[in-house]
Amino acid sequence: MAFSSQLLALPLPFSSRAYSRSLANPVPVTVALLQRHHRTISFTNTNNNPFPYLDNNLAITSGRKISLIRCFSALNPELKTTLDKVVTSQKVVLFMKGTKEFPQCGFSNSVVQILKSLNVSFEAINILENEILRQGLKEYSNWPTFPQLYIDGEFFGGCDITVEAYRSGELQELLEKAMCS
Amino acid sequence: MASRALLSRASRIKTKLEAALQAALLEVEDVSYQHAGHASVKDSGATETHFNVKIVSSKFEGQTLVKRHRMVYELLSDELQSGLHALSITAKTPKEAAVNIK
Repeated sequence: MAFSSQLLALPLPFSSRAYSRSLANPVPVTVALLQRHHRTISFTNTNNNPFPYLDNNLAITSGRKISLIRCFSALNPELKTTLDKVVTSQKVVLFMKGTKEFPQCGFSNSVVQILKSLNVSFEAINILENEILRQGLKEYSNWPTFPQLYIDGEFFGGCDITVEAYRSGELQELLEKAMCS
Repeated sequence: MASRALLSRASRIKTKLEAALQAALLEVEDVSYQHAGHASVKDSGATETHFNVKIVSSKFEGQTLVKRHRMVYELLSDELQSGLHALSITAKTPKEAAVNIK
């Protein structure tokens, strides 16, 4: 479990709470602003927001550089290095919605049940707890949905692929190879 | 082309995949109702979020499953960014599909 807590404690360039709150009330303004204005955007967690018309803790600072967000990508080099480490930390790593014990999505659950039935020890990381991780992973894996299964540090597939491989026996073979190496 | 608002997501998906993959068989099914209680769907009240897609196309020859799925995802990247939440993809080549039917 060590790595999942490490991921959640990532030193983020801005408050993830503010960011997730802003995601809960998606304001097209933020997207338009990111696209049209190349100023530095800062996410502040204070209540004395000098720009009251943007009431989701997103303030644009002209001139004064507070934060580090310039581009759209959620995958900064730091996150990438961390993900490199996570996917190789164990033979089998599953990025899913919910936890091993309480999956919060049918597809994630299918993969968990398959891995459990094969008696494979795997690390399960809940991407619902960290929106930055969630978006970063989509870029990192070049895969837009979850669950995402990594075997031996390599992206294996999502739910459909895992189920198909389980039916054909390919998954068991690959896992055996990974466990023995 | 009719305006986006008039075409349902299912028909948009169908059009995009048909054009790019020249599919011998293409089925698109909206199964959002099966996921209505989902953690991330519940609150937003979104519709047209989960689809089953079945494609048989010769363009999948020689491609691993991951590559085939990625092809489909790339073709539908607009949809994925505008509220499409998940896709269940069955991507077969004509040979594989014929084998399964027998």
